[in-house]
Amino acid sequence: MWLVLCETHDAAASWAYSSLRARGLAPLEILSAEQLALSEFQEHRLDGPRSTLRLRTESGLQVDGQRLGGVLNRLWTVPIGHWRQAGEADRNYVQQELFAFFLSWLHALPCPVLNRPTPQGLCGQWRQESEWAWLARQAGLPVAAYRQTSRDTVDESRGERRLVPAGATVHTAIVVGARVVGAAIPSAIADACVRLSALARTPLLGVDFVQSPDGWRFAGASPTPDLRLGGEPLVDALMHELRQSERAAA
Amino acid sequence: MILLCGIPSESPLALVGEALDSICAPYLWFNQRHFASSDMAFDIDERGITGWLEIDGQGVPLESVTGVYSRLMEHAKLPELRGQAADSPARRHCDALHDTLGRWTEISPARVVNRVAPMGSNSSKPYQAQLIRQHGFEVPASLITTDAHEVLAFRDQHKKIIYKSISGVRSIVQAFDDADLGRLASLRWCPTQFQQYVPGTDVRVHVVDDEVYATRIESEAVDYRYAKKQVGEPARLSAMELDDDVAERCVALTRGLGLVFSGIDLKFAPDGRIYCFEVNPCPGFSYFELNSGQPIALVVARHLAMAD
Repeated sequence: MWLVLCETHDAAASWAYSSLRARGLAPLEILSAEQLALSEFQEHRLDGPRSTLRLRTESGLQVDGQRLGGVLNRLWTVPIGHWRQAGEADRNYVQQELFAFFLSWLHALPCPVLNRPTPQGLCGQWRQESEWAWLARQAGLPVAAYRQTSRDTVDESRGERRLVPAGATVHTAIVVGARVVGAAIPSAIADACVRLSALARTPLLGVDFVQSPDGWRFAGASPTPDLRLGGEPLVDALMHELRQSERAAA
Repeated sequence: MILLCGIPSESPLALVGEALDSICAPYLWFNQRHFASSDMAFDIDERGITGWLEIDGQGVPLESVTGVYSRLMEHAKLPELRGQAADSPARRHCDALHDTLGRWTEISPARVVNRVAPMGSNSSKPYQAQLIRQHGFEVPASLITTDAHEVLAFRDQHKKIIYKSISGVRSIVQAFDDADLGRLASLRWCPTQFQQYVPGTDVRVHVVDDEVYATRIESEAVDYRYAKKQVGEPARLSAMELDDDVAERCVALTRGLGLVFSGIDLKFAPDGRIYCFEVNPCPGFSYFELNSGQPIALVVARHLAMAD
């Protein structure tokens, strides 16, 4: 079995699910964070060298982590709507507990997982703009100078800190393993995108660019790009990565 | 120049400050409580990472900061912000200052003890246990479940079990006994972590780069940190030597987690196995130093100063 894990209204994940299914990846299931959090049976064990996961969702779907062929993972948060009646301290505690639980069982899956979880993000490490700018420079991408001061008045909670001006037209290239799909960028830039993906330890990475008179310029990166921008070449790349364990077994 | 970040009276920070004094290493306090008189800026461009830090009228280029020891408290809870509205200028400046400092320390070429991202493994005990296992330590058999029957079977298998949080929140170890049976029904709404109880001797190992200090802890409590509450008397601490192989594994584990300084909780079981329960990435080592006499702060100070 293969899984697509995502937020409830993740249209890009739904598109990927339909596209992979149309290509014959089967059995393939799509599960939302909410369905996972409300699973009627959840069990994760660490025993000697082994780690296991077993889930049974409310609809009766059984998931055995040892039997998964691959996972497209776009989980970002763990919903705790079923705890809405609890006090704030308890809700915060449950949120932390469920995040820690998801992080551990996702990490334990022996199959290919795009992307594997980190403590800074269930589907890959969330990074601040400054860190992306620094990594992108190290990867050899053209990056505008970044400056931050303690007197800046941007509202971080509204995502006002950006590497490019708000409203700029952004083109997204998507790295999947060693392939780059999406925006038609020069091959040298594509190679640098693959290096950025490796530096960020994020094999499925959306890399944003703006076009300036000087050429392509790095504008940000995300472990949850809009997969639809990659079209059929992206589905090819996902099929290749998610079928790795099947090929290894053969 | 070394930068000490936090509140200077906090014990581990104070001890490192004293140790830096003892080796005559220059350092500067980033006292969170003085945020109103502090400013910071940094740039990332073709020159690399540059910038400026100003504290109480004293300015230093960030390029001159070669070591950072950070024990920042949650700045929103600083007493100076008590009663301040969420959008007050003081609170916004404090937020922006800490954000700027935090972003710089994550990418700075200075020796940072420790950067924030690698500290994250401690936010999920079973996740960290999987990383620990790769470094040759035993980890206790663990069950995280929503199912009461699984818990009872787990107890039958291991005879004595404990439960504790999965995350780093409310992280107190408790023995599971018959009095807890009535609460098993509530597992359905939040998976809970149970572990085999491992008897033996608790040992806290502090690793600073490649230096290792082990402290034996003697207590009858399930969780020695709460020994006085659990068994009525505090734990007894004493310095001990580790076998080279164990010490090397502690160094490798610390590095493997991306840390420079760690507090590793080991248990030496009667059957000779060595279990590792967790790696604390921001160890409050003063409790151990003051009770065992081990010079942990001095080793941290030397590590920071060596970059100069």
